[in-house]
Amino acid sequence: MPGLLEVNHLSISFFTPRGEVEAVRDVSFSLNAGEVLAVVGESGCGKSVLCKGIMKLLPPIARIKSGSICINGTDITGYGERDMQRLRGKLFSMVFQDPMSVLNPTMTIGAQIGEAVKVHQPRIAKKELTEKVIGFMELVGIDKPEERMKMYPHQFSGGMRQRSVMATALAGNPKILFADEPTTALDVTIQAQILDLLRDVQKKLGTATVFVSHDLGVVARVADRVAVMYAGKIVETGTVEEVYYDPRHPYTWGLMRALPAFSKGQDYLYAIPGMLPTLIDPPKGDAFACRNEYALAIDYREEPPLFPITDTHYAATWLLDKRAPRITAPVRRWKDE
Amino acid sequence: MNEEILLDVKHLSHVFSLSKKVRIQAVDDVSFQIRRGEIVGLVGESGSGKSTVARCVMNVYRPKEGEIFYKGINLCDRKEFREHKRMLQSKRQFIFQDSDSALNQRMKVWEIIAEPMKIQHVTPPRGTLRAEAEFQMHLVGLDAGYLDKYPPELSGGQRQRVAIARALAMEPELLVADEPIASLDVSIQAQIVNLFKQLQRQHGFSILFIAHDLAMVEFLCDRVGVMHHGKLVEMAPVKELFEAPRHPYTRSLISAIPIPDPKRERARKTGKEMDKEWMDA
Amino acid sequence: MLKWGKKLLFFLFYLFLLSVLVFVISRLSPGDPLVSYYGERAEKMDAQEREWAENRLGLRDPIPVQYVRWLENALQGDFGISYKYKMDAAEVIRGRIGNTLLLGGSGFLLIFFLALWLGVFCAWYEGRWVDRAICSLGTVTSCIPEFWLSLVFILIFAVNLKWLPSSGAYSVGKAEDVGDRLWHLILPLSIVVMTHLWYYAYMIRNKLLEEVRADYVLLAKSKGLKRSKVMVKHCLRNVMPSYFSIMAIAVPHILGGTYIVETVFSYPGIGTLSYESARYKDYNLLMLLCILSGALVLLCNLAAQAINERIDPRLKAGEFLKEPGVEDEGRGV
Repeated sequence: MPGLLEVNHLSISFFTPRGEVEAVRDVSFSLNAGEVLAVVGESGCGKSVLCKGIMKLLPPIARIKSGSICINGTDITGYGERDMQRLRGKLFSMVFQDPMSVLNPTMTIGAQIGEAVKVHQPRIAKKELTEKVIGFMELVGIDKPEERMKMYPHQFSGGMRQRSVMATALAGNPKILFADEPTTALDVTIQAQILDLLRDVQKKLGTATVFVSHDLGVVARVADRVAVMYAGKIVETGTVEEVYYDPRHPYTWGLMRALPAFSKGQDYLYAIPGMLPTLIDPPKGDAFACRNEYALAIDYREEPPLFPITDTHYAATWLLDKRAPRITAPVRRWKDE
Repeated sequence: MNEEILLDVKHLSHVFSLSKKVRIQAVDDVSFQIRRGEIVGLVGESGSGKSTVARCVMNVYRPKEGEIFYKGINLCDRKEFREHKRMLQSKRQFIFQDSDSALNQRMKVWEIIAEPMKIQHVTPPRGTLRAEAEFQMHLVGLDAGYLDKYPPELSGGQRQRVAIARALAMEPELLVADEPIASLDVSIQAQIVNLFKQLQRQHGFSILFIAHDLAMVEFLCDRVGVMHHGKLVEMAPVKELFEAPRHPYTRSLISAIPIPDPKRERARKTGKEMDKEWMDA
Repeated sequence: MLKWGKKLLFFLFYLFLLSVLVFVISRLSPGDPLVSYYGERAEKMDAQEREWAENRLGLRDPIPVQYVRWLENALQGDFGISYKYKMDAAEVIRGRIGNTLLLGGSGFLLIFFLALWLGVFCAWYEGRWVDRAICSLGTVTSCIPEFWLSLVFILIFAVNLKWLPSSGAYSVGKAEDVGDRLWHLILPLSIVVMTHLWYYAYMIRNKLLEEVRADYVLLAKSKGLKRSKVMVKHCLRNVMPSYFSIMAIAVPHILGGTYIVETVFSYPGIGTLSYESARYKDYNLLMLLCILSGALVLLCNLAAQAINERIDPRLKAGEFLKEPGVEDEGRGV
């Protein structure tokens, strides 16, 4: 059975005056109905571009170079703006990182949610529209919706704004929701609330969700499956248990160890050495090799393929090759405690 | 750690008057001290007044009530402040959350780092301003190749390093960092927190570290204060605070720290239940 | 209501300030008001005659005394006589303001809507050849001096082709004929529009392009809104406040700044009048003209402010600063 969303060998590049930036390189994944897939990686790894690329919200300098995007078995790779307009909102929708800047400051919250409803029901009566808007505001947990729908974004707090953005995103009853770092700009306590809300709504409506984050701690709360991205590629993917309890890629180890929870009681936090390579001219071989303390000679020459570990768990590192030395993951496992 | 008290905040209150009717009590009777060489964290959600405290300490705002003493100098007294202005402005340094807008986009990195020295007419100990900038950059882990770059060419973590280098160039005694890691990735946050810790050990300055995230604060700070609705609800040594939090709000903050373990995380109470719990308390 | 009372008070205060400034500056600047009253005869007057003449016009008193006298009369609706025209200054202006309102007003309205349309058009086709062509053409036209363009137009349309009249506001004996007046309006109006249009259209275009790149466009698009809807309902709406503000300042600029066009086309309007009155120190006329244009600027600004507050709620004083999150956040919203 084909998944709801099938992405095959997708590559997206930005053609800038300084050269071609290969933001997404040969990414494949599938998303089933009602599932939460988390895409994790440092900023600049292409996770955001991947989501916007699928929704075709990227600026004109970005182009899909190769690969295909299929939704419900229909190939939408070649769709133009007009076809995409019909799909957006209804089939997929998006929640963004900064809830202040994505809401139009000069329109009331109610009008902005109403607009999203109206796109799909242009002839809806005014009263019914108001009812629907109130319904969506209640769904995302905004108190006193009748009053608040007449308010403007600047009168809302950060958490309330993100709830409003979610309401607009959900107003078209989308099958897939892309959530691009929806909690990064929020306080820790509000973050927890929004994550719970996301999970609740997802369960209630059965919306499949692609959750993008740089924080493995946050992801643990919401995800069913996890894909770790580095330098435009998926380097490890698996169910949330597989990735957290049995991570195989050195980059996943690094991300885990960088969390303060893993360095408890130590003097210094672990930090992955070095930085992301520029994607204008990606290095030969494994892009992570120069930051990888377990790098093998072959890492600098040839890119590792995705090695299967189980049916659902894959990782792209030469450490999984038969000839490679055995290395125990340097990540303390929570389960053991 | 030294016993000398570097910064003494006494009953600080600040009110923002938006119009004749609307007034916001941003800070309400906050008192704390920072000793020389100590790292003090100030934690709370946005709007809790923690940044306002930092700005009062840096003389950006004039507090409505209360006093702030820096090495015995009353910062709220105009005359006393003016007398020690030069010393105060070089020995206290500020690091902002948003390094993107806090650094002038049209200045090269070395010019940014050297600017405070130029303004305060400090003779650079290493000959030229540029050499001094290079030295400071080396300390924060940036190589000389970045000297002639502009801020937009750098990543968020690198920009924050430049901001730290600029502050360090004045050899400060007190570093006030207002959410310096909030807009960075977790892996970069770890780098910057390590850098703060390492630099503090080398230079021995004190840090007032403002954050909304308790997890990183636990690592860096010696003592932590928790702010809520303008009030300092709890202040304790970091270990004590995490092991036996007294105020319910502190408890809810601690339990909001995400755990990188799916099973535990799923089994946890939801945010709403947590909130209810501490509101009942 | 109280707010508007306050605004009215400020309005009057600014007018008063303006009148003082103009009064003092005009008296202190060099020039001989007697020339505008007596014409060439003033130059041949001896000292005694001059003294008598100046006394008659009240120019010998100290400036504050003169001002108070002027203000007393002005408050009763008497703005004095124009030295040059030897009649009530208000009367002089009344005879001409209609023409200027017609030229400047219709020019302003045309510019307002054409600029809006052209700006949106260019932003829609950003970077394509239409946009690039209009941008270069617009830059060229806005650089051409008005008087030169006027002369070229007269040469082409009035002299060579003989399609349109070259001067005046109406043909002799046809002062009441609306068609004839419009007929005379075409050339000066097109000059006014052509030379001002691009400045405003370009502003709209660039502001729109800034808005199109804003984050809220992403959310609007991901809702499934059409591009045209995003452009008009979201982007243009957010550009309008600054457009209104600029256009409010532009009202007197376009309305009064038509004097070159008025001169070239011998069009009897306010523009030429204000130039003359300043040049030849026709004090009373100058004062009235300044106060009228000052009142116009203030009124337009007030109107723009009122409209903008409706469009952009953040501009309402007081609420603008309201820090979000203070009342809501943290209480488990």
